[in-house]
Amino acid sequence: MSLSKDRISAIARKEFFHIIYDFRTLFIIFLMPVVQLIIFGYALNLEIQRVDMAVVDLARSTQSRKLVGQFSGSKFFRPFFYQGRLDDLEDLFKSREAKVAMVIPFDFERKLQNETSVQVQFLVDASDANAAILIRNYCNQVIMDYNENRGVKLPLPFDLRSTILFNPELKSSHFFVPGVIAMILIMISALLTSITISREKETGTMEQILVSPVRPLEIISGKVIPYIVLAFLDAAVILLVGLVVFKVPFKGSLFLLTGLTVLYILTALSLGLLISTQARTQQVAMMMALLITLLPTVMLSGLVFPIASMPKLLQYLTYLIPARYFLLIVRGIMLKGSVFSQLLGPCFFLALLTLILLGVSVKRFNMNLER
Amino acid sequence: MPEISVKTENLVRNFGSFVAVNQVNIEVYQKEIFGFLGANGAGKTTMIRMLCGLLKPSSGKATVGGLDVYRQSEQIKRSIGYMSQKFSLYEDLTVEENINFYGGIYDLNQKRIQKKRDEIFFSLGMGDYARTLTYDLPLGFKQRLALGCALLHDPRILFLDEPTSGVDPKARRDFWEIIHQTVALGTTIFVTTHFMEEAEYCHRVFIMDAGKIIALDTPTKLKNRYKKKSMQEVFVTLVEKQQEKKTNPMPDSNDKMS
Amino acid sequence: MQRIFSMMVKEFKQVFRNRPMLSIIFIAPILQLFILAFAITTEVLHIKLLVCDLDRSQVSKEVVRGFGNTDRFDLLGFSTDLKEIKEKMKAWEAQMALVIPPGFSRDLGRGQNPEIQVVVDGVDGNTAGVALGYARGILGEFGTNYVKNRPNYTQPVGIHLVNMEERMWYNPDLSSQQFMVPGIVVVLLTILPMMLSALSLVKEKEIGTLEQLMVTPLTRYQLLLGKLIPFLILSYVELAVVMTVAIVFFKIPMNGSYLLLAGLAFLYLFTTLGLGIFISTITSSQQQAMFTAWFFMVFMILMGGFFIPIENMPPILQKLTYLNPMRYFIYIIRDIFQKDSSLFSLLKDAVPMTAFGLLIFSLSVLKFQKRVG
Repeated sequence: MSLSKDRISAIARKEFFHIIYDFRTLFIIFLMPVVQLIIFGYALNLEIQRVDMAVVDLARSTQSRKLVGQFSGSKFFRPFFYQGRLDDLEDLFKSREAKVAMVIPFDFERKLQNETSVQVQFLVDASDANAAILIRNYCNQVIMDYNENRGVKLPLPFDLRSTILFNPELKSSHFFVPGVIAMILIMISALLTSITISREKETGTMEQILVSPVRPLEIISGKVIPYIVLAFLDAAVILLVGLVVFKVPFKGSLFLLTGLTVLYILTALSLGLLISTQARTQQVAMMMALLITLLPTVMLSGLVFPIASMPKLLQYLTYLIPARYFLLIVRGIMLKGSVFSQLLGPCFFLALLTLILLGVSVKRFNMNLER
Repeated sequence: MPEISVKTENLVRNFGSFVAVNQVNIEVYQKEIFGFLGANGAGKTTMIRMLCGLLKPSSGKATVGGLDVYRQSEQIKRSIGYMSQKFSLYEDLTVEENINFYGGIYDLNQKRIQKKRDEIFFSLGMGDYARTLTYDLPLGFKQRLALGCALLHDPRILFLDEPTSGVDPKARRDFWEIIHQTVALGTTIFVTTHFMEEAEYCHRVFIMDAGKIIALDTPTKLKNRYKKKSMQEVFVTLVEKQQEKKTNPMPDSNDKMS
Repeated sequence: MQRIFSMMVKEFKQVFRNRPMLSIIFIAPILQLFILAFAITTEVLHIKLLVCDLDRSQVSKEVVRGFGNTDRFDLLGFSTDLKEIKEKMKAWEAQMALVIPPGFSRDLGRGQNPEIQVVVDGVDGNTAGVALGYARGILGEFGTNYVKNRPNYTQPVGIHLVNMEERMWYNPDLSSQQFMVPGIVVVLLTILPMMLSALSLVKEKEIGTLEQLMVTPLTRYQLLLGKLIPFLILSYVELAVVMTVAIVFFKIPMNGSYLLLAGLAFLYLFTTLGLGIFISTITSSQQQAMFTAWFFMVFMILMGGFFIPIENMPPILQKLTYLNPMRYFIYIIRDIFQKDSSLFSLLKDAVPMTAFGLLIFSLSVLKFQKRVG
């Protein structure tokens, strides 16, 4: 038995009309990535700037004022003088008026003259540990600069030259535009297909289709084709916004990217199919799809947080996330101009994952039909 | 002269420029089975929804049980029962739980719910199904259960919107038997259908096309007037006449409009 | 009263009968807790380092050793071909390369300031910046030691350094879980009530039971209360489960008042349940409702300070976050967990949050009409 093109296209057409008649969903599908791009491109900044710093200058001397000046001059801090009681300093943290407080001791000037070192106290609101670490490092940096300005640093015996490749200005939008493509593609492909198929099951239209001479594989292909088209269009929109608005470079081959995107969409569709074979109702399918795609894709794929820094167990888990591989592919091709032979590893894993997912879900799909 | 249960005067409902119900005047008497015929899109569902207080009329007057549909729709809801073609039961609840739920919604006390539950189980012959999920019931039983739930609070008027679509002829006949028993107890039935043989069960029928009344009388009189043997033929004749009169055909789908 | 009660009983039965959904409702948050608590760290470790030691002397090996002794860098290999650096980066096999020029140790000995080059992959700007900082630190330390170990080294006179003495308040171990876990609680109290109420109302619309309920004497308020109270209770159960896991299993310290937290959570739930009703009034299928809820969710989570600190955003976007009710509750819950803040000091967040909640809730209830058209 061979697949019938006519039957597939009949199902595809029906599904396609389902999609375009539902303006709201369509609107969200295309608006969502753009909103996410803007948030990620502009808002996601892991570097802290202008930290509010309370200064308690007990010394009130020339040198202590210079120290404060060193902090004001840095782009990281926004110091202000705190006049209240030392014991009430915590209130500043509770009301979030300051994240760090610097206490310069009475004898600052004297010790600086007579002793080898003088301690300046920094109280850090460490409730956000990541921020606290950054704040500490910045304070350290400013103190070092201060010491250096006073001429107490040893010169290095060599020069250090640093070269930044691919994204010399370290723009976060360059990093996130390809990331949003990876995220949206999997959301649309996996979420929509799983919902679509379970909707047919829930409303009973699946049975109607099944009693017609259509074969399961034809149903699946027919249902899935419109979403491939939709996912592609969406990817193109994101890419365009990225290139035009965020001026993200595109160094590699568009042809290669297109081909590998098809592979990734296939992976996502197989995942969606697998979910739909498990879920009897739309609600369950949606929740499962959200749970399996959204959270792991954002958290565990390397989209925002580097995989290498995670605990080992979570790192193993990331091997199961399709976006992990596609991120390497899309970022490599767009930002670095990687060629196919350099992306063999991720491609292999992605293909393997697709085969496994597709195999399991087609098997389960047929099993469900027999019941 | 029997008491009037439902009365409309020049009732109109538009959806945009489309007129779903156009200047309808009817009077339905107590203990009457009032059939409401029409092809899909004739405005049947819109009509029922207006009378149940689900939809505000665009203009005209309507009273149900003497209560005004504009101002007293909440009081109307206390005295009517409603069952639609979708059999609005919760399929993830058991038969018993569905009955308990609707009983609770109508503020019946436990004793009354208990009594009604037994009645439904007995008269519908579904005692064995008490703890079955509604999802697993045969369609005919779902329909009977939906009817049972709509009658829990002994409504004075029962609205049935295509209650027999999709069930087999045997179940349909059984269903009408229950309807007749219900009428005997004093309830008025307002029923829409597109099965013409069902029209024969009604005391009076009312045929609608494109939002307008085209006939209103007892089945016997209608058959005599048009010299036909069945309501089926009467209906076809009437609709064909209408089509000839029309210069512009009306759009044909809007029964499901909401 | 009986009507509301009947609604509630029905709602609970439906929730408990839907086993797959129930397990998702309770397993998902714990999974989230696990992943989020560990995955979110801005600390950068195990940077893949390629070493191009063209000098191959004792001294250059010592430089390399400095990079090998820390878990910040993973030494991946040695290369003598400079062209290879870029290609390896394109294949994601290296993130940073250290180039020590030929004659490095000789020039160093002669005091001729040889040049060490560090090449970094800038695609991930954050990691690249941190990696450069690490490299500077390691090389700086090497340089200082080298100078000090010179035979002719003399300690410069008159050095008076300012040193830093730091105190980390609230979280001396600097565990990021302490910060993330309370945030997860907020995310849950957003997703669960919003999704459940929106989906369950729209589902009744889809299958026609909502229409059936509308022709009964059940009033709008009874219908909504009967629907929402079970979800409210479920949200609290979920809150309790997640907090128990967090406190017992993850050992997250809870310094503040449970009562205050529960009370403010109640006010926050007005917002999320209200949004659920709102979504159900503007959508007609579960799929639409899902997507709309998803849209709200992404916006709220990304712009609520959950994992992108609001302080880091550009000022315009920061102002925009004032429109996000989640922002307030995230601050509140973190402050209660970590700082034992009192209601008084939380008022500036609690007041706008409550205002949002009541506004959204009452608008949604008004928009929810007992009519179909």
